[in-house]
Amino acid sequence: MEKGKISSIQAILLMLSMILPTAVLTVPAVTVKFAKQDAWLSIIIATLGGLLIAWLVVSLSQRFPGKTLFEYAEEILGKVPGKIVGFLYIWLFFLQIGSGVVREFGSFLVTVLMPDTPLIVFNIVVVIVAAYAVRNGLEVLGRANQLLIPTTVLLAMVYIFSTGNMKLSRVLPIFDGGLLPIIKGAFVPTMWLGEIVTLTMIIPYLSKPREARRVAIISVLLVSFFLTASILEALLIFGPNLTGHWLYPVFNAARLISAGTSLERLETVIVLAWILGGFFKIGVFYYAAVLGSAQLLELRDYRPLVLPIGVILVALSILVWGESIVDMLHFITQVWAPMMLVIFEVGIPLVLLIVALARGKGGKKR
Amino acid sequence: MRKNIALLLVLIMLTSLLAGCWSRREVTEIAIVLGAGVDLTTEGQVRLTVQIAKLGAFAAIGEGGGGKSEAANWVVSAEGKTIEEAQRHLAQKVPREIFWDHCLILVMGEELARKGTDMVTNFFQRSREPRETMWVLIAKGEAQDFLKTYSDLEKTSAQAANLLSRMKSGYSVQLWEFAEMLASKGVQPVAARIEVKLTGFTPGPSQEMTAHKQIVISGVGVFKEQKMIGWLDDDETSGLFWLKGKPITGVITVPSPGEPDKEVSIQIRRGSTQVVPEYDGRNLRFTLKVKAEGDIIEQQSREDLAKPEMIKALEKEMAEEIKKKAFAVLEKAQKEYEADIFGFGEVFHRKYKKAWRELKDRWDTEFAQAEVNIEVEANVREIGLLTMRGSTPAE
Repeated sequence: MEKGKISSIQAILLMLSMILPTAVLTVPAVTVKFAKQDAWLSIIIATLGGLLIAWLVVSLSQRFPGKTLFEYAEEILGKVPGKIVGFLYIWLFFLQIGSGVVREFGSFLVTVLMPDTPLIVFNIVVVIVAAYAVRNGLEVLGRANQLLIPTTVLLAMVYIFSTGNMKLSRVLPIFDGGLLPIIKGAFVPTMWLGEIVTLTMIIPYLSKPREARRVAIISVLLVSFFLTASILEALLIFGPNLTGHWLYPVFNAARLISAGTSLERLETVIVLAWILGGFFKIGVFYYAAVLGSAQLLELRDYRPLVLPIGVILVALSILVWGESIVDMLHFITQVWAPMMLVIFEVGIPLVLLIVALARGKGGKKR
Repeated sequence: MRKNIALLLVLIMLTSLLAGCWSRREVTEIAIVLGAGVDLTTEGQVRLTVQIAKLGAFAAIGEGGGGKSEAANWVVSAEGKTIEEAQRHLAQKVPREIFWDHCLILVMGEELARKGTDMVTNFFQRSREPRETMWVLIAKGEAQDFLKTYSDLEKTSAQAANLLSRMKSGYSVQLWEFAEMLASKGVQPVAARIEVKLTGFTPGPSQEMTAHKQIVISGVGVFKEQKMIGWLDDDETSGLFWLKGKPITGVITVPSPGEPDKEVSIQIRRGSTQVVPEYDGRNLRFTLKVKAEGDIIEQQSREDLAKPEMIKALEKEMAEEIKKKAFAVLEKAQKEYEADIFGFGEVFHRKYKKAWRELKDRWDTEFAQAEVNIEVEANVREIGLLTMRGSTPAE
């Protein structure tokens, strides 16, 4: 069905593009609201969570070489329960997150750049481009991402330029509110890092499947690194109180940069990273949903499904995510994050692994 | 092959369409706001006054030179319940779309600042056009008077105020710094004060110098939460710099050691302040360790200062002077305003996490009763290009 293969590096970079963009914009404000100046500690806890999920997912995949989540779910649980699990993953995980990203993508651009443009214009445009990438398969998605990821260097440049506004004392004292707020703050970033579950759709197409574990671990660590840098950037500039007041603190932090009097308005870089990253993030979830559906329906080719699922993505992005950005944020932090984390990122993979072990399904790495 | 090239050409031509977008704005369709001022009207509404750039006058820079052919700005104001409402009313008078991206300064009238800045700052933080880097200034009197002045050196008074603020002529804060101080319990906000004074002189029609009103940055406004409660004058503001541990540049003038009726000016090159809190559950004490480094820049007395013992004596007087300035502002903040404008609360929070949780809600009273010691270590490094006074020595 999918004939392409991608290298380990391409897979790592794809995971980076898949998790980071939305995390950089949305996570800092949410985490800082809970953990205040200790938000960066929350990310360290979240990283441990992310690594556990990565370990779980890779262990599962390596028992069934060459098979995706949808294929081995059937093998482990039997045909009907396996199909139900697959169905849930498509509708409530891949399509849900995918449409969420489409919504966030448009929402951010409407908020900060083009308030007069209807949201749906951005949503449709990005899904059309993503549809083209998905139709061309994983290999194209991986290579295009590899080509464009150097723009992340620009993001690093923004962080370096904003050091002038930073004050280390703004993250002190450490452990101000004790451990509980830190753990509460770790919840949302863990969910983001847990999106590494999507790797189950990519592992079978790695040119060296043996390196899957390394790919997963490096991806999680890289994402955590950038996420910590982003949170610290916002915290060191705005302090624990003001950071939580902004909607997109990292964007505001970039707006402050003024190197000399000429190098200003570097928030464009954030927008650039967002557009590119948002596109790849949508691409990966879109691809996972399409490939998963094809495997679920036992089709010979996934390409006929690209367009219909794209339409569903756009429709869901408007319908599911509430009327306003307030609805969306509330839904993400209160409903979405816990549900995704508990059910799809930890719950089902863990059950699958336990059942596989109990029934002796799947072999060790061959 | 030919087909591919044709396709590529079509694609390249299509990109030219991308520029024509929604929300596009031509320069001739927008009114660029350089400075905004907000006052309180007698009915309790806000009056928004904006200084709008006249681009034609900007384009004429360098041509002709000298002579005020055309004013570079236009000042209009409108009233409303909120800033946005006032802006809507402004739109009835301004024939172009109001464009905030280049707004450099935000001036708040005294009366409004005393009523509370939340009426103002929220709009400028929330909407995406105005930038957080605009300078927050508090006008003595009305903000609109300030915007109606002009500058001789810069095109507009808003630009002049921007450059003055950037040079740190006063204790200037940008909107985001102001917002951060507002959001924190461990520090009370301050913002630079501006006044309008009859200080500028330009040649009138008959080449005689005529005076006109100009802006002067002097002192700061002191806030408690979001309400302004008073002012600090210039001397107290320089004390504020020392207590806040901001990079300090400025001048300290002390009596000459041998001839106390004559003065010596020392230019400050570097300075730092370390605040050490001590708390035993009842008594609160702060020790400030100030380090200052400066160069002799001017001497009125006729004695020879280029001697080690003279330098020592000068350093002592310098330390005394810094201490005096610091205590003056401290006294005012503790006794008169009961407002921790120095951020001692944040320093305290860093060291005593648990005690802070109890004290933070009544921090200002605790701060007012705190004992403060100031230790100054002052050093004179350079003496300029003269070693002696440069005239006949006194007998």
